[in-house]
Amino acid sequence: MAVLTQQKPTTMIEKINDETWRRRFLRNVLVPWIFIAPLLLLHIYVVTIPAVQGIYMSMTDWKGVGQNANFIGLDNYRELFFEDESFGKALGNNIIWMIFFLTVPFILALFAATMLSQIKRGGMLYRSILFIPYVLASVVTITIWKNLLNPQRGIGAALDNMLGLEDAFGIAYLGRSETALMSIAFIDNWHFWGFLMILFLAAMQAIPPVLYDAAKIDGANRWDEFRHVTLPGIRPVVLFMFMMVAIWSFLAFDYIFLSTQGGPGGASEVIATLLYKSAFFRFEAGYGAAMGVIISIFAGFIIMIFVTLRRRGWDI
Amino acid sequence: MKAIKILFAIVVLLLALVPVGAQDVTTVTMWFGEGATLDCWGPIMLEFNDIDPSVQLEIVPQADTWNVTRTAVAGGGGPDIVRTPGPSFVYEMAQAGLILPMDSFSESMGWDGFFFDWALDLGLVDGQLYSLSDELETLLLYYNVDVFEANGWTPPDTMDELNALAEEVAAAGYTVFSHGNASWRPSNEWFVGEYMTQIAGPHNVYKALTGQIPWTDESMVEAMEILDAHMQAGWYGGGIDLYFTNEGTTRRAMFADGTAAMNIEGSWAIRSLGEYFGESGQDWDWVPVPSHDGTDYFTIGMGNTSSINAGSPHPEAAATFLTWYFSPATQGKMLTDCRKGPAPVTISEEVMGELDPRIARVYADLSDASANDRYGYTTWTFWPPKSDVYIYEEVERVWTGEITVMDYLEGLNELFAEELAAGDIPPIPAR
Repeated sequence: MAVLTQQKPTTMIEKINDETWRRRFLRNVLVPWIFIAPLLLLHIYVVTIPAVQGIYMSMTDWKGVGQNANFIGLDNYRELFFEDESFGKALGNNIIWMIFFLTVPFILALFAATMLSQIKRGGMLYRSILFIPYVLASVVTITIWKNLLNPQRGIGAALDNMLGLEDAFGIAYLGRSETALMSIAFIDNWHFWGFLMILFLAAMQAIPPVLYDAAKIDGANRWDEFRHVTLPGIRPVVLFMFMMVAIWSFLAFDYIFLSTQGGPGGASEVIATLLYKSAFFRFEAGYGAAMGVIISIFAGFIIMIFVTLRRRGWDI
Repeated sequence: MKAIKILFAIVVLLLALVPVGAQDVTTVTMWFGEGATLDCWGPIMLEFNDIDPSVQLEIVPQADTWNVTRTAVAGGGGPDIVRTPGPSFVYEMAQAGLILPMDSFSESMGWDGFFFDWALDLGLVDGQLYSLSDELETLLLYYNVDVFEANGWTPPDTMDELNALAEEVAAAGYTVFSHGNASWRPSNEWFVGEYMTQIAGPHNVYKALTGQIPWTDESMVEAMEILDAHMQAGWYGGGIDLYFTNEGTTRRAMFADGTAAMNIEGSWAIRSLGEYFGESGQDWDWVPVPSHDGTDYFTIGMGNTSSINAGSPHPEAAATFLTWYFSPATQGKMLTDCRKGPAPVTISEEVMGELDPRIARVYADLSDASANDRYGYTTWTFWPPKSDVYIYEEVERVWTGEITVMDYLEGLNELFAEELAAGDIPPIPAR
């Protein structure tokens, strides 16, 4: 206490007058903010303000045309969760979609990336072939697959003809309630998994070869190498893609809308297609905004899980 | 000296580029979907520019025209002429003050002189005229003449005859109706509206639309049950799952090549039937969609509407264009040259005489039906937006066996009652 009273008190004004402190303040605080300000302002203008407006609109009965929007509190949310059967069904389909995309493309991509990582010559050709579907526009992919899955002139019909069967494979995959959603997921996956494979392959190539040599010396077989060297080596990429795919699953729209528009009978309806119809066909833009907010909440929830895991020491 | 010459040349060039009297020209803008329709309609619409050099039309091709238009108009921009997909869309825009009431133009430019009596009423919102309807449509039962002649069949007059014929057609190995909704899912609603009109009767549909009877009325239940039975029998497209996967081109082709015997579709189909039947070398004709009692009812629909943007700096010029565009002469030319469904205006007999008799008969019969209380209602023109979407989305659940006809109609009734109470019903001409 005595020591403290002997020290000269330092006021803020004195601090600012201090040349060194001022330079530090400029260099460490002000300059970075000046550099980031344009981007920040742009972000506030194109993301933050519309997001806040969207949240507000989700609590109104706005029709999407004009300025008339009455505040109705949480009515839209109450209707979504307690009255609207189609929303529950769409949410269920989104969850099925997410489970599909968190398993099938990951397994395919891991398998293919592992195989391709062993290829010394011609690997680029395989990679390119498997990656091509990813660069095709969704409308092109859907058009191709609509024809391939056509019950009368598609692959199934050709198989039936070849095997002398009747309607065994040549069925309307996109026209049946029980197969529509999975058929579209299959098409979307055909386009998507090559991208995942390239990411995993790149991550695998960053693993130091010495680790594989050490594993071999320890008597590891191919499976042991994959389990104890490859997987831990690419884990951050796999987990990050897990998070992204989970978020993207709630944004699924184009493949579904271009193929079945949510039909038949809502069998392939997801939240995004329902949102689009509410906002643009039914003139329920406020209701659609509420669905948008729910999608964002799901995305936030998924991110929160990953942040929590990271804080607990997971290598993500 | 050289520099002066160059400067002089630049000044002359710039002066040449300035249009003489450009400041006196008023340009009316219209946004229009890109594609074959514009290729045919566009040059005819631009003939307007030859009438008065001081008022010029500019057509701006747009993809996804309606969504682009409404976004722009809501933001205070957009074209002078606002085209919407139907009266229910006009209602929302008028309520929001985005389009202008046009009563004064109608009076000064004599629109009631060439529009049918009921047609101007379709554009009313709270008693004021906000839109002019275009592209008169109705649903017809088309049939493949070659298939019918080869099998000795005659087109049906009543629903019972249609049922009997459909069974024969199916037994003979043909697809009864060439159909599929993969290209346009709302095509489901064609049949809902048509069966309600032909089986429950247009008077009952009118009562339901005006809230006098519920949609669960037994006449509606019967209509929907017959439609469901036809679907379950696989008459549409060759089976329900095929109906959900057949594209527009597939169904037109299967009708034209004789795989299917009939097709219930709108009068717009006439525009492309010639092309498909031209390839197959077969022939087509049409009859009214059979009703329960054999009366020839024609449902009336509108393909789109035109209004004037509230933000237009020159609404009078826009109204001048609309007067020219909707005139019987212009509509007649578009009908003969492009097979465009005309606006609900009186087309001269001379123009009708130039048409393929099958096409002329459509508009003559439709006109006769509207004058003699035999007109019905298409869902996309007369139903409010939420009920309309419900009609074509939820009916698939009936066809896939997920819900019953009664569940479907109860849902429609509930939703319609909400929209009726909110005053969201498009104008229903009194009968």
